[in-house]
Amino acid sequence: MSGNSRLPAQEQCPALSAVAVCKRYKNTLRPALDDFSLEVRQGEFFGLLGPNGAGKTTAIAILTGLMPPDSGTVRLMGMGYREKHHQIKQILGLVPQDIGLYDKLTARENLTFFGKLYGIKGKRLTEKIQRNLEFVSLTENAARPVATFSFGMKRRLNLAAGLLNDPQVLVLDEPCVGIDAQSRHLIHEQLRDLNRRGTTILYTTHYMEEAQELCGRLCIMDNGRPVAQGSPVALLRNSGMSTLEELFLHLTGKELRDV
Amino acid sequence: MLKIMAATTKELLLLLRDRAGLLVLFLMPAILVVVITLVQENVMELTGQKKTRVVLLDLDQGDLGQSLEKQLEKGNLLIEQWDGKKNEADIRAAVKAGDYQIGIILPRDASAHFKQETARLFRQNKEEMTGQTAGPTFVQVFFDPLIMAGLRSGINAQLQMALTTIAMQAKLTILDRRLKEAMSGLPVPQEFMPLPGLNLPELLEQPLLSLKEIHGPRQAAGGAPYNPVQQNVPAWALFGMFFTAIPIAGAIIQERNSGIWTRLRALPVSPLVLFGGKATAYMGVCLCQFLLIALIGAYLFPCIGLPAFTISAQLPAVLLTVLLASLAACSYGIFLGMACNSYEQASTVGATSVVTAAAIGGIMVPVYAMPHAMQRLSIISPLNWGLSAFQDLLLRGNSLPAILDDLGRLLLFFALTALFAWKLAGTRHSRF
Repeated sequence: MSGNSRLPAQEQCPALSAVAVCKRYKNTLRPALDDFSLEVRQGEFFGLLGPNGAGKTTAIAILTGLMPPDSGTVRLMGMGYREKHHQIKQILGLVPQDIGLYDKLTARENLTFFGKLYGIKGKRLTEKIQRNLEFVSLTENAARPVATFSFGMKRRLNLAAGLLNDPQVLVLDEPCVGIDAQSRHLIHEQLRDLNRRGTTILYTTHYMEEAQELCGRLCIMDNGRPVAQGSPVALLRNSGMSTLEELFLHLTGKELRDV
Repeated sequence: MLKIMAATTKELLLLLRDRAGLLVLFLMPAILVVVITLVQENVMELTGQKKTRVVLLDLDQGDLGQSLEKQLEKGNLLIEQWDGKKNEADIRAAVKAGDYQIGIILPRDASAHFKQETARLFRQNKEEMTGQTAGPTFVQVFFDPLIMAGLRSGINAQLQMALTTIAMQAKLTILDRRLKEAMSGLPVPQEFMPLPGLNLPELLEQPLLSLKEIHGPRQAAGGAPYNPVQQNVPAWALFGMFFTAIPIAGAIIQERNSGIWTRLRALPVSPLVLFGGKATAYMGVCLCQFLLIALIGAYLFPCIGLPAFTISAQLPAVLLTVLLASLAACSYGIFLGMACNSYEQASTVGATSVVTAAAIGGIMVPVYAMPHAMQRLSIISPLNWGLSAFQDLLLRGNSLPAILDDLGRLLLFFALTALFAWKLAGTRHSRF
């Protein structure tokens, strides 16, 4: 994969920033996000962790412009969603937790459709699709309907669809949930590769070891606000805990979170 | 344009891969139009919109039966002679079973009794009449119990008129003969006789006042008169077209309940473009539905004894109506898909609303046959706007200007449902 063209003027600004963001859903007692602030630097592999109901989903939806905040500001590569909605979407990649693919279409047809919606066409699109299929090791299965894929293959194709625009910022919501070790390993390797080549990655996961392995910095959130931020090493050192899981349970409690 | 084409291609691919769903979309209106039209053919028999079958049991076998048959055939009746060997009970049973709409029995010696009674009226010697029982000759008639009251009353009047005419002709014939006999006995030269050389019955049968029915432009232009085919083909095509709203809604809900909607919303593309692609693909389906049903009407119906469907004129206006009705149906489906939260909800609301709109819109029962309140209510049904435009074009022979109000309503319905769907698209957040 070749890196996308970067904008020199935006190099110094954070890739993603949220300042004092609040969001409250109708008919709920407490806000989903309460004075939530976060900064993801360009080129970072950033992890967002939190128990069920902590506000991760709402945070991701607001950070990717799918939902407006009640108050506060969100910027991506220095651009606000209200003013630069279209430009932001051109440089943002999103890999949703639920498989965002048409089961009855083949892998190639899915990528063709989403690629065209990015405005890519002709030979450039064909090349990008071929490259992305190779990236997730699905070239030989490109002509098969997605319905016939294993869950791991679907997850890999889900990732490939999120990379069609060579995003500067890639947001992944639990991309490895429920898949086999081989697919997970492949996805981890390819994400590391993408990050090495300059793509900023915001990654949510429930797996602490995964976060520790992949992320340069983490944010643990609970009750709609960050409760700890920093590199995994720094977080463990400052807290005196021996594992990230221990720290997570210490910060968010051991009671079950049935949402 | 590239994005709309991409969305259209994707929808068409999905449709082609769902052959069972596609089959239902085409098979359902095709079956309905055939079945309902066949059913309505029978209704038309019962309402007199086509020749009414009359069975005549002539136990008399005299002149009266022939005269009656001759008179009735002038009307919209198809007379069939009943086998004389069968008895009255058989003919009554046949009519009661609906094999014929009307049964007529001429009793034995009816002709002789009729002649005798007619002659008796003109006897000069009043004394001869003393002690004799005078009375009409009774012709029995009975009806299929299902026959509509209006048709029953019309046929009764037609029968009465035929009998009155036969009686009048018989009276005039005798009167003419008597007058000639009386005048010939007088010493008056032929040229001074009243109405010399003329036959009185023929003279009095000359019509002086007559009804002239003025036909609409279609019939005047030689087009087919009203028949259930011209009503049902566009009506059930419209019903099928609006039923596509349910699969459209289902497809949108499936997208919303998976990660697809989240992905689509993160792409640099407006929901209107996605809706446009979906609408374009399903409008193609609607056009094919109309074409299929029109072809069934034109080519299959004559093979099963129904009149053929014809679009003799106004083809561009008919196509415009099909196009706008398709647009309205598709945008309603998109609105349903955005407004409902599950396929069960969308299919229930969709089916109920389309069937209700079809019922009040005159698809199942013509609007003029509904109670007054329902007739007024029919104006809110998009299917009524489409059907009304088709009726104006295909039955009344009107041209485009006459249907602009209905087309305007369909366009407004499309715009409003598309606007609501677009607004909802901005507020609907799928599971992340």
